[in-house]
Amino acid sequence: MPQTKSVKRTTRTESSTYLNEAIAIWFRDMRSEFRTRYALNAILMFAVTTLIAVSFAIGSFRIDESERPFLYAVLLWIILTFSALSGLSRSFVKEEEAGTIDVLKLSARPQAVFLGKLLFNLSLLGALGVVIVPTFILLMAYQINFPVFFTTMIITGCLGLGAGTTIIAAMIARASGRGALFSVLSLPLLLPLMITCIKGCERAAIGYDSAGWPEVKIAVAYVIIMITMSLFLFSLVWEE
Amino acid sequence: MFTLRVSDIGKHYGETLLFRNISFELHKGDVLAITGWNGAGKSTLLRILAGLVRPSAGAVEMFFNGKPVEKESRRRFIGMVAPAFSLYDELTGLENMEFFATVRGLSDGGDHCLDTLHRVGLSDHAGKTCRDYSSGMKQRLKLAQALLHEPPLLLLDEPGSNLDSRGITIVEEIIAEQRTLGVTVIASNEKREADYADRVFNLSE
Repeated sequence: MPQTKSVKRTTRTESSTYLNEAIAIWFRDMRSEFRTRYALNAILMFAVTTLIAVSFAIGSFRIDESERPFLYAVLLWIILTFSALSGLSRSFVKEEEAGTIDVLKLSARPQAVFLGKLLFNLSLLGALGVVIVPTFILLMAYQINFPVFFTTMIITGCLGLGAGTTIIAAMIARASGRGALFSVLSLPLLLPLMITCIKGCERAAIGYDSAGWPEVKIAVAYVIIMITMSLFLFSLVWEE
Repeated sequence: MFTLRVSDIGKHYGETLLFRNISFELHKGDVLAITGWNGAGKSTLLRILAGLVRPSAGAVEMFFNGKPVEKESRRRFIGMVAPAFSLYDELTGLENMEFFATVRGLSDGGDHCLDTLHRVGLSDHAGKTCRDYSSGMKQRLKLAQALLHEPPLLLLDEPGSNLDSRGITIVEEIIAEQRTLGVTVIASNEKREADYADRVFNLSE
């Protein structure tokens, strides 16, 4: 027997805020990710492999002590940035490849989609940071004299990384050769942030007077600019 | 009261002309079938009506209770099913529906999701992951997703594809019920589906 049922039609009330929509999209992405672990596996595998390779090749004693703060900061941000580039494009590419992007376009407002995907990418970056940063510190015997400044730098840096890569991921989702395009477009956009974060982490390790925390301020400004610009531009990227 | 007005719509990709000068106006209760050869642009026309593709010329206007519907608000007035659409394979049928209900801000999401799944004959499979659905069940779920917010404009691109006779009956019921709510536009080459409509627009002529 068909299970059809006549439903009495009423005028439905629709009331959603951008935040509700964004959280729904973030929650759905997280739920899918927990079931497939595609992006998380890609990011963590890349990060862990690179970290192990670096720690074996360089270790904690092959670099002169005076050069450690700078070189360790460089290595840490190279690992974080390239690990992020290996998986963060999936947030939009997956929608395009699975054919779910049109239904999402018809259901959610563009800005809410951007915010939801940004939250998802930030969650992945959070997981990456929690695993990689302490492991890096342990394996490389990374001495940090200003831990609070260092932690704030890592957090703001990851926020910037997430903001920068999310809008690029949206832009390349429909292109062919997405992987290469994602890296090529992301690097110029992320370079100012990377340089700032490397400088900040170096200062935190050495223990310079970090009064005013200039690198953190630059990173926060970067995050605000990227998110604001992305919210304005995303509609143009999202719609045909 | 819902009205869809299409004025001199045209679409070309590069120098390839798909169609041009298409105009029609539909009011609540109307069902229009769009037919034509493969590649005539039936699906593209539906995507233009949904706002997923920009027309090369002309305009699509919608009016609800006599007032024009802004482009940004149109998604609330449109439900669409198309072969190219997919839902989230790693979620269950109910989770898919709950996601769309939340995103659309439906006030009584949970119960309404189950009601809608029941309407398309999927209530017994609500907890099953969509990856395990047959193609016919996926088509039913797409129909449920399109009906969830009871849109005044229902766009059905080959709605009967992959459906068994029970599914076809459900599509017939949906189209009949939509007459009391708004407008239906069907794109299909199936004579049976075109027969649901009051008017037929052949893109190949």
